[in-house]
Amino acid sequence: MKRPAEAKKRASKKAMQILIADDDPVSGKILEKNLRKWGYKTLLAKNGIEAWQALQKTGLRLALLDWMMPEVTGLELCQRIRQVTKPNYTYIILLTSKDELQDIIKGLEAGADDYMTKPVNFLELHARLQTGRRIIDLEDHLLKTQKRLYELSTRDNLTALWNRATILRFLQEELEQGAREKSPTSAIMLDVDLFKIVNDTYGHLAGDAVLRGIADGLVKNVRLYDKIGRYGGDEIFIVLPNCSLTNVAKIAERLRLACARNKIKVPEGRISVTLSLGCVSSEAMDRPSVDRMIFACDRALYQAKHQGRNCVALSEPLPDSRKGTTHGKKTR
Amino acid sequence: MEKRPDEGTLPINRAEALERIGGDSDFLKELLGIYSEEFLLRAKELRSALNGQEFQTIQELGHSLKGSSANLSLPGLRQAAMDIETAGLEKNIQKAKESFACLEKEFERLKKHLAQSPD
Repeated sequence: MKRPAEAKKRASKKAMQILIADDDPVSGKILEKNLRKWGYKTLLAKNGIEAWQALQKTGLRLALLDWMMPEVTGLELCQRIRQVTKPNYTYIILLTSKDELQDIIKGLEAGADDYMTKPVNFLELHARLQTGRRIIDLEDHLLKTQKRLYELSTRDNLTALWNRATILRFLQEELEQGAREKSPTSAIMLDVDLFKIVNDTYGHLAGDAVLRGIADGLVKNVRLYDKIGRYGGDEIFIVLPNCSLTNVAKIAERLRLACARNKIKVPEGRISVTLSLGCVSSEAMDRPSVDRMIFACDRALYQAKHQGRNCVALSEPLPDSRKGTTHGKKTR
Repeated sequence: MEKRPDEGTLPINRAEALERIGGDSDFLKELLGIYSEEFLLRAKELRSALNGQEFQTIQELGHSLKGSSANLSLPGLRQAAMDIETAGLEKNIQKAKESFACLEKEFERLKKHLAQSPD
């Protein structure tokens, strides 16, 4: 019986598609036959133009290019592919009957990773393709690690929402874009009512489950382009691009209702929690900034708490100075 | 011009060609069929290029035929195609025409050989 890792590796090799670009049908067919025998999928291009079109596909990671082709040569293809930015690297083996040292140098300088003279020795090609695969596997591993590091540095590991630094960066970016496009940016600060009692009654594991459950509910009830982040503790912050104060109030109310209606599963059973939400919009603010938005949201959230919890409060326009703050308006 | 393979040499090194394609003789037959069709098209283009003394085309067609002949281990055809490529590069029409005559002769020899020993 095959070990799972081995089977996975074999399946991944089988799934890899290789571009063969060769205007000689005999050569193309022979390459195709051997590559298929080794478990690769193949895509045959009969000239440089067909090959260039195929190379635009991101899934193509390995290419065998004949140097001498009509319209666009393999050498020109190498140069072109190295000039464009693709999400993944394309490993190129240049095939040619040119075997002078200066030709080899020219081919490698144009962007080929490897070079083989025709007629191709297939044992050698097999080995060279393995080299290409090693480079591709290495790139995949690096990209996966990079993605993981990005997740770790931007996501909250309990709720999988954006973390505080990231959500604040999004707010900054959206405020700037909103100012350029003259569209309002809104924000919601919310927290779980009496969250301490949940923790004290059911324990911190249940508290964690509640936070995860709330996060899931929020994700389902905001617009696709809204961004949700964990601000700290049980406080969650939402950035809503191109959203007026009227609309943010509607969205906040939708979030409140969705949470109040759904019980959250915790190890001890299913429990109900409610949210208090404070909303703000840049359109109701002089000189909107990250700090002023947070300040206004916080103040509105405080109002919601003060007005009995399980409700939405809107921030009223902030004065130019923070002296003489106005009271938030409750909606229910 | 390089020395051509001896007349006594077979027009195809079947063992070498089969080794390249994993010993599949049916596939070799299919490839030889494709080669023959391609050869006739390229030969027609070559004839026209020779008449018009289009040396760049002569060189390219010679190069292309050299590649496919090498892939199928056809030494005589490969050599004649290489001579055509060189003649095109050197802009030597006389040599190109002589090499083309050899190429056609080699092709006939291959056809005859394949007809006599199809496998």
